[in-house]
Amino acid sequence: MSGSEPKPAVTLPDMFALFARIGLTSFGGGLSAWIYREVVDRRRWLSEDEFLAGLTLSQILPGPNVVNICIYIGQRLRGTAGSVTAVLALLLPPMVVAVLLLVVFRSYGQLAWLHDLLEGIAAAAIGLTFSVGYRAARHATESNRWAPAVLAAVFLAIGVLRWPLIPVVICLAPVAVLIARKKV
Amino acid sequence: MRDDDVLWQLVLVFTPLSLLSLGGGQSVIADIGKQVVDVHGWVSQADFVDLFAISRAAPGPGSLLSTLVGWRIDGLAGALVASLAYFVPSSLIAFAVSRVWNRYRGQAWQGVLERGLAPLATGLILSGAFTVLLSSSGAVSTWLIVAASAAVFILRPKLNPLPILLAAGLAKVAVSAFS
Repeated sequence: MSGSEPKPAVTLPDMFALFARIGLTSFGGGLSAWIYREVVDRRRWLSEDEFLAGLTLSQILPGPNVVNICIYIGQRLRGTAGSVTAVLALLLPPMVVAVLLLVVFRSYGQLAWLHDLLEGIAAAAIGLTFSVGYRAARHATESNRWAPAVLAAVFLAIGVLRWPLIPVVICLAPVAVLIARKKV
Repeated sequence: MRDDDVLWQLVLVFTPLSLLSLGGGQSVIADIGKQVVDVHGWVSQADFVDLFAISRAAPGPGSLLSTLVGWRIDGLAGALVASLAYFVPSSLIAFAVSRVWNRYRGQAWQGVLERGLAPLATGLILSGAFTVLLSSSGAVSTWLIVAASAAVFILRPKLNPLPILLAAGLAKVAVSAFS
């Protein structure tokens, strides 16, 4: 499916607006889940498979995963200008907010209710990430009957046993690709 | 120490960390702390913990810690230099790889790779969420919020997340206030 269907034309201002909004509203981590929802679910700029392949690359390469996935999406949609636009939009607005928070924090000290508010937001963000994982898992299973086994192996190794990410991915990726050669 | 020296040293600290941050920003946070607190003595340990907390609380990626550390050390110039030194090197690598990857778009082997890597990436997404969940305070209300929000977002994939997240934050404040 990927590659054959025509892509909607995405302008640089469109991209800037979206990534600035994601950067500014994504409290509590799990930015990849936000980006998946906006770029795959809501706007269909990328297919699930394209996004998830980019996410795997982003996780293996050095650098923050979200920055890498923005570069990948920007490059895919609008080349070099797209990458630069996506990263600047993602990083600059939250940078300003973070520095402002730092200044405010120095003047007022730590506020207990603020801590609770942020913990609640972070908890909902974890739920959001689980929901994206659930949808991606369902999608992956449609074209690859080994998907549940690969998914379970990754979750066991990294989520439960806390093995380091890079060696696990390097060992599992060739196996995962080999057994996915034939489409279901 | 002259101003230029500090800025130059920020480059020397953050550029290698950028290239070493395999698997994401989390992997080098401890090293950033070691460099700026122990090796260079630019900030105190307590200060660094504060900066880390703010980087987690602020919107955007946690890697904005580099910006905050730079700001604390040398104001605006420090923030700019530390951010560039931390974000640019790894981004250039990601850009080169993306370009090569997207150049071969539509080839059969890429379809196979994407199909094979999709469950792997999904496993990584779920592992990441699980790890963050385990590192949270572990309060019952937190787990309930996680479960409720996962259910809402699975049933309504196109819902705007922001109001739900805000409601969850307020719910947590209310639970603390009345317990």
